[in-house]
Amino acid sequence: MLEVCATALMLDVAPHVAPSYRQSSVFASAILLTCIREELDRIASRRVEENRALRALFAGAAPGIEEASLRERLARAGAEDDADLRISALEARNAALRDLLIELHAHVEEQDSAEARRVEAVIWRELAASTARRKLGLNAF
Amino acid sequence: MRGVSDLAARFADYARERMPGASEIRVEDLERIFGGASRETWRLRLCYRDAGGRAEERRLILRRDPIGSLIETDRRIEFLAYRAFHRSAVPVPEALWLEEDPRWLEQPFFVMEELAGLESRPQMLLAPPYAEHCEKLGVQKWTILGEIAKADPEALGLIEAMERVSPDTAWRRELDHWEGVLDADEVCPQPIIRAAIRWLRRNPPPPAQRIAVVHADYRTGNFLFDTEGRIRAILDWEMAHLGDPLEDLAWSLNRIWCWARDERRGALLPKERAVRIWEESSGLRADARALHWWELFSCVKGQGIWVSSAREYESGKNQDPVLALAAWMQMNAQDRAALELMGQLA
Repeated sequence: MLEVCATALMLDVAPHVAPSYRQSSVFASAILLTCIREELDRIASRRVEENRALRALFAGAAPGIEEASLRERLARAGAEDDADLRISALEARNAALRDLLIELHAHVEEQDSAEARRVEAVIWRELAASTARRKLGLNAF
Repeated sequence: MRGVSDLAARFADYARERMPGASEIRVEDLERIFGGASRETWRLRLCYRDAGGRAEERRLILRRDPIGSLIETDRRIEFLAYRAFHRSAVPVPEALWLEEDPRWLEQPFFVMEELAGLESRPQMLLAPPYAEHCEKLGVQKWTILGEIAKADPEALGLIEAMERVSPDTAWRRELDHWEGVLDADEVCPQPIIRAAIRWLRRNPPPPAQRIAVVHADYRTGNFLFDTEGRIRAILDWEMAHLGDPLEDLAWSLNRIWCWARDERRGALLPKERAVRIWEESSGLRADARALHWWELFSCVKGQGIWVSSAREYESGKNQDPVLALAAWMQMNAQDRAALELMGQLA
């Protein structure tokens, strides 16, 4: 349905809209609908997948962290689950987990140990995976 | 402001004040056009009789501050930059009037000549009649950027209008600014860009070879070109400042501008060729380590712009769908560009 709406906006509506500024807005709205169509199917799954990946990363990293406060917060976050599957709830948990990821990443960068390098490598893999999860087909890069 | 006819009448009043020798001044064909999200851009024909009674007509562009915008910018600096480069090796439209008094059109604005019948949209480079001119346009694009880097800000009269910076602190001022934008505007955590910022602070670049005028949004999409493959005007100087000329070069090479989905930067030339052209034109050297620093910085700056547009849209201050689209599409691309530069893109 969204694809039909987007196509109708682009081909049937936009060419008849004036002035050109309004026409550009209609085109942008049509492309937004195309992006929403692509996102809709994965909207919950990518958040659940990412939250799980981050929790597994935290659970694996926690034992090697010497700083007690960070270790405890990692262990606690690593043991959580997404009980509420509403998008707003998943999004809020994702933001909290990514904040913790930033803190962990900055922490291990300062550590001079093989374990720190291992965790850092795991973080980079997860960050690369996070961009793949969010990539849109229309993106030029 | 009560619509287009009211704006036309008020602008005609303003033109009467500005052109006391002219008579029968009227505004025709006033139309808002798409001209970036940081200013409202209007096209119009100003019709009048000159002091000798001869009928005249000027096609003009009116750039007016919107309530919300992608970038918080200084209209005076943009206006002065257009003035400074007019009739130089850097093609720009003639800037006519700057008005900061809101009594005329409620918001500050400036007026410049319209260069009609030209194209700026990057996607137009992917098909005839423009696609065959990509190489020619690329050579001009990076040659002109070299001219901007070479220009003396003092001789241009811009040194007083722009905040001064030293060669060894230019990088820090820019990084501080864009990290501040991210701190203020991010709508969700940015772990990749935060990692990039930490790397940039741990590995500062060498001092700038010289302090130059930095256009600060020099990319395909911000210049006008014709069907013969000639660049006719460099636009959108709203973020111009003094700084390291490598900032402009790096921004022009940002991966997110690879509109043709290949290795050509700005859909025009491969990176190595673009850098060589810029070096020849500017007389400066693009040291690999320094350029890498500025390229990664470009990702931070880009993400600053995209998160600001997301914030602007989300706040309801400006619900131009272009803001939402730019934020959604470019935030992911910008993250991927940063990962690539840090050698972490899978």
